[in-house]
Amino acid sequence: CPLIQHLHLLAQRLFSDFESSLQTEEQRQLNKIFLQDFCNSDYIISPIDKHETQRSSVLKLLSISYRLVESWEFPSRSLSGGSAPRIQISPKLSELKTGILLLIKANQDGADLFPDSSALQLAPYGNYYQSLGADESLRRTYELLACFKKDMHKVETYLTVAKCRLSPEANCTL
Amino acid sequence: MMRKVILLLLLLCFTAHTRGKLHSPPAKPGLTSCRSPEKETFTCWWKPGSDGGLPTTHALYYRKESSETVYECPDYHTAGENSCFFNKNDTSIWVNYNITVVATNALGRAFSDPVEIDVVYIVKPNPPEKVTVTVMEDKGWPFLRVSWEPPHKADTRSGWITLIYELRVKLEEEIDWEMHLAGQQKMFNIFSLRSGGKYLVEVRCKPDHGFWSEWSSTSYIKVPDYFHREKSTWILITVFSTFTFLILMWLLHMNRHNLKHCILPPVPGPKIKGFDKQLLKNGKSNQIFSALVVPDFPPATSSNYEDFQVEYLEVYVRREQELVLEESKDLHNSCLKSESSTSDCDSGRGSCDSHTLLMAKCREAKEGERQTDRECSPMRTEAQRRLKDWEEEALNYAHAGIVSLEMSSGRVKTWPSVFSPLPRYSSSPLDQQSSLQMAKQLSLSTSSYLTQPGHSTKEALGQSYWDLCLSSKQPHLLNPPTPVCRELQAHSDVNISSIGHKRAPAGPRSPALHTTEYVEVQRVDNKDTLLLQPVVQGCGRMGGCFQMPHGEVYSKVKGVDSDNVLLLQREGMGEDRCPCVEQETNEVTGSCHKSCTVSTTQKPSGCIYTAVPVRDEMATMANGYVDTATMCTLHTC
Repeated sequence: CPLIQHLHLLAQRLFSDFESSLQTEEQRQLNKIFLQDFCNSDYIISPIDKHETQRSSVLKLLSISYRLVESWEFPSRSLSGGSAPRIQISPKLSELKTGILLLIKANQDGADLFPDSSALQLAPYGNYYQSLGADESLRRTYELLACFKKDMHKVETYLTVAKCRLSPEANCTL
Repeated sequence: MMRKVILLLLLLCFTAHTRGKLHSPPAKPGLTSCRSPEKETFTCWWKPGSDGGLPTTHALYYRKESSETVYECPDYHTAGENSCFFNKNDTSIWVNYNITVVATNALGRAFSDPVEIDVVYIVKPNPPEKVTVTVMEDKGWPFLRVSWEPPHKADTRSGWITLIYELRVKLEEEIDWEMHLAGQQKMFNIFSLRSGGKYLVEVRCKPDHGFWSEWSSTSYIKVPDYFHREKSTWILITVFSTFTFLILMWLLHMNRHNLKHCILPPVPGPKIKGFDKQLLKNGKSNQIFSALVVPDFPPATSSNYEDFQVEYLEVYVRREQELVLEESKDLHNSCLKSESSTSDCDSGRGSCDSHTLLMAKCREAKEGERQTDRECSPMRTEAQRRLKDWEEEALNYAHAGIVSLEMSSGRVKTWPSVFSPLPRYSSSPLDQQSSLQMAKQLSLSTSSYLTQPGHSTKEALGQSYWDLCLSSKQPHLLNPPTPVCRELQAHSDVNISSIGHKRAPAGPRSPALHTTEYVEVQRVDNKDTLLLQPVVQGCGRMGGCFQMPHGEVYSKVKGVDSDNVLLLQREGMGEDRCPCVEQETNEVTGSCHKSCTVSTTQKPSGCIYTAVPVRDEMATMANGYVDTATMCTLHTC
């Protein structure tokens, strides 16, 4: 399925652009800073090791990816702030989300798409970021960036695994 | 006693000090690095501080994010000394680990600084494995093909980890490596090899977000020699060009003199005749330039203009007695030139050729310019022109005067037009004396009429013709019974007829010759001047006949017809005896004294002065001097 490859590449590119757009200072801060104890996407249960990922189905991976992307659709707009002009993340996220949805529908064989109904929970996201104080905006920005970076990497990994599973000939051979 | 205790204590302290450090709690250890080779396990290393002299143990504790549970390192030995190895079960991805190392000894404990890590970001794979380098050939040119495999631990097959590779190449003797980024492929080609070189190749890899691995073990490869073919060609070319160059040099050397001449030609010296270089060096310009002066240039003396060839009217006899005057083309000499051109009155013809110009000049040449005109020797042309003018205007006397003056001057060239040279008339050469005499006579005849204004002079002039003609000294020329109607053939200029034309209406007129006039060719002087002498019956010699003969006066030269016959026009003063039929009036004069005009067709009657049939185009003669006045055949009517 070429769509998955496209999505994977898209996610990969997105993350790369995001990482490259980070300033030196931001990168240093991100390395130093204590990583956020929790991100907004912590509620989304996702495989955290290879074993779990291998065990998960493609559909599950896709759905999780979809949810992750969706969770960042709104907050990504606030990522444009900062000292340096950032790339437009939001439209790319939308594109990614749409692609994943298409992929899900293509692979969906009648199975329930969302085994867990936590996908529609949006309230914590909106409130989560809005409740933050202004004095910690800079720190919050860094934390936000860190969370975003992690989630994007998750999506990319899931999509890559899904791609390799769907089309083993695409660069996944040893 | 007290002193002993103090000494003992001091000794004890000193002993304790000399033995070594004091026992102290351990120093703080530090985590150096944590690495994961395949994003499935990871290892952390620490560096212990000073142990404080006591045996110290270290322990690593970690805590996962959003959990307060502290775990201790599960494996202290797998990874070696001072390390902690986290296996797959203990490793979670995208999870923050808070790791701390604690050093403990008998006296105390020491905690290291905590370190937060996420396994995703500490991945440093193992170097690629099974690096192979082979020499392959592409169209005769060799290249290296390097291939490798990812580290066996990294799971790239499932896509769990994505690796990109990089390799570097260098010659054995070089220092700098040549880097090549290979991306995710596991094979790479290297071109542009040096023949016979020994190459070193190394490969390394990196995950999409992580650290570069170490370089793989070096692979050695030797490129075979392929340089012979290329080198031999170059050697051949070099040798050939060297030979060519040598030959060229040799040729240049042999011809260096010619080349020298070609490139640097010798500077020519001055070629000015008479130029003295020594004088120039001396610096006196006057002497130099004086030396350049040619003594004979420009010619100082002016040649006698008399020596100039003057072509006159050619008059030759037709039927032994008829003289055909042939006007040469050179009659058109400048007539009334200014005094400046005295010496060569014959030469400047062009300016005076135009009729109008002539007219103007003749007009100007009145009494005041008579003298200047006198200078002009080309009489013939002048006379012709004058005659022409007389037709049109009343300047005849001027001309006549000029002519007469000329005559008086002793020059015999007064009547060039009339007295055209007679080349054929060699049988009767006229000596100078006679010509002169004639000229004088003519002048005498004409001068008498100088006072007479206007047309009288014309008539006088015309009469003078007669006089000249009459006083012929050439018996054989003369033919009394038969009036020699010399047929002056003036092409156009000799238009003596005009004289009579103009004179007819006005002015006192000298008595015209009524008798049959004979115009004789007096003679041809040595200057080829034809002197005409009118034969006046009853007039006798010219000397005594100053009167205009009665009757018809053939004083005008109508023109010269095609047969080179000078046609004289009879000037009838009174009765017209000439049975001429036609009378072509001269429009200019308007008064044709019954001048006999004989058409071409008409045969000349008994006029003595038979004229050649006049052509119609006489009016427009070649040189245009003949005006509308037509030719007239003199009839001895």
